Amino acid sequence: MIVTVTLNPAIDEEYLVPEFRPGGWFRASKVQRTPGGKGINVSLVLKQLGQETAAMGFLAGFSGEYIRDVLRKAQITTNFLHVRGETRTNVYIVDEVGKVETGLAEPGPYISEDEIARFISNYERILKRTSLVVLGGSLPPGVPQDFYCELIRIARQRDIPTFIDAAGAPLLAALDEGPTYAKVDQRFMGSYEGVTLNSLDNLIEAVTRVHALGVEWVVASYRTYGNVFFTPEGIFLAEFDRKGIVSMFGSGESLVAGLILSGKEGMDTKERILFGMAAALENALHVEKGVRNRVAVEKLIPRISFEKLS
Amino acid sequence: MRICEVMDRDLTALSPDTTLSEAIEVLTRHRVSGIPVVDPSGRVLGFVSEKDIVKAALPGYFDYLQDPSFIPDYGQFQKRLKKIGQDPISKVMAKDVVSFSEEDSDFYVAITLIRNHLKRAPVVRDGILVGVVNRADLLERIMMEEEPPSFA
Repeated sequence: MIVTVTLNPAIDEEYLVPEFRPGGWFRASKVQRTPGGKGINVSLVLKQLGQETAAMGFLAGFSGEYIRDVLRKAQITTNFLHVRGETRTNVYIVDEVGKVETGLAEPGPYISEDEIARFISNYERILKRTSLVVLGGSLPPGVPQDFYCELIRIARQRDIPTFIDAAGAPLLAALDEGPTYAKVDQRFMGSYEGVTLNSLDNLIEAVTRVHALGVEWVVASYRTYGNVFFTPEGIFLAEFDRKGIVSMFGSGESLVAGLILSGKEGMDTKERILFGMAAALENALHVEKGVRNRVAVEKLIPRISFEKLS
Repeated sequence: MRICEVMDRDLTALSPDTTLSEAIEVLTRHRVSGIPVVDPSGRVLGFVSEKDIVKAALPGYFDYLQDPSFIPDYGQFQKRLKKIGQDPISKVMAKDVVSFSEEDSDFYVAITLIRNHLKRAPVVRDGILVGVVNRADLLERIMMEEEPPSFA
């Protein structure tokens, strides 16, 4: 079973506001409320692609119950620890006309040491029947910055590969522990070890250093609709054009889900990258987070440009 | 219909050495009436419910009373509950657990729950916890079904 860990889940509220600008008062033309957080999003997309997962992490209060309820109805296995406080709500404003997205995030509920210990024992228990662990997103207050390190270490002791999709200090700490896959989101990370991630050469330099830490696959976003993939078979660049794109919201997690599923099915490196990118593109073609289904994803593979960089 | 289509795929569980006070906290925070007790690999060892905890904390003579209104207040109950708060749940959990497999029919599960006066029960695969069934969810599902189930 694939296990996704979301330590700081959120309700994602996406508002479609034509011609949004700060300081004004607007009516949303459409509102979408979905459970969110990177790991949960990966679980939802994998479900849409027909793959079972178990989602775990911390939930709190009314928002936490809402998330649990949606996951339950989607028949996704859950093992969340319910804590005091309230799970956060993240607000995204999508300007359809200006094609600009604005985001606003809360810190999330405080997690006590006892709760962290209880989470670890749940994690160790579920790892007994886990084939891959996906760790995603930010850390809630109370959780140490190097917590992902510990989770990766525990998984590695059991020979279970890990996929981390995070940013900032928690990601940097996790990279030292050598996860199997890492996705670096450039939007939330301007530089790595002093290298500014603004050009392709710089990106390759940074990603090569990450690779040296034992990370087999590194995925780094490049320009708006592209990603650089550092794989055991070389460095590749894959991109898609902006035709028909409504919202990139959730596309990163669809890419992660696509890479995981294609890996599980034994596709080769190129096929995996194309499938993952097609999942990301499908996600971007509508306001609804996630992908419609597998057929819709596969149809988009011809729209992905693929280039070997080295 | 198979029970795996109705069950709650939630793996919230306690280990047998969890204290009663922690179990109470988990029950209230998760808003459930009972939780499976599992070993480190997820094998179901027991089931602990509010009922088991209440029973453990009630004074010994309670069973002899016809009517609980004889008790003036819950002072004694509270004293006993606090006293056993640090005891492991393995002391009070039901060890003879009614559990189901994912392939069991919803009707069989409903009948078994009613017969055993249970609200919740674990669903297992090779002894390992994979979810729980709730009586209320089953009722809802039966209500929603188009054809009434045949009792013939």
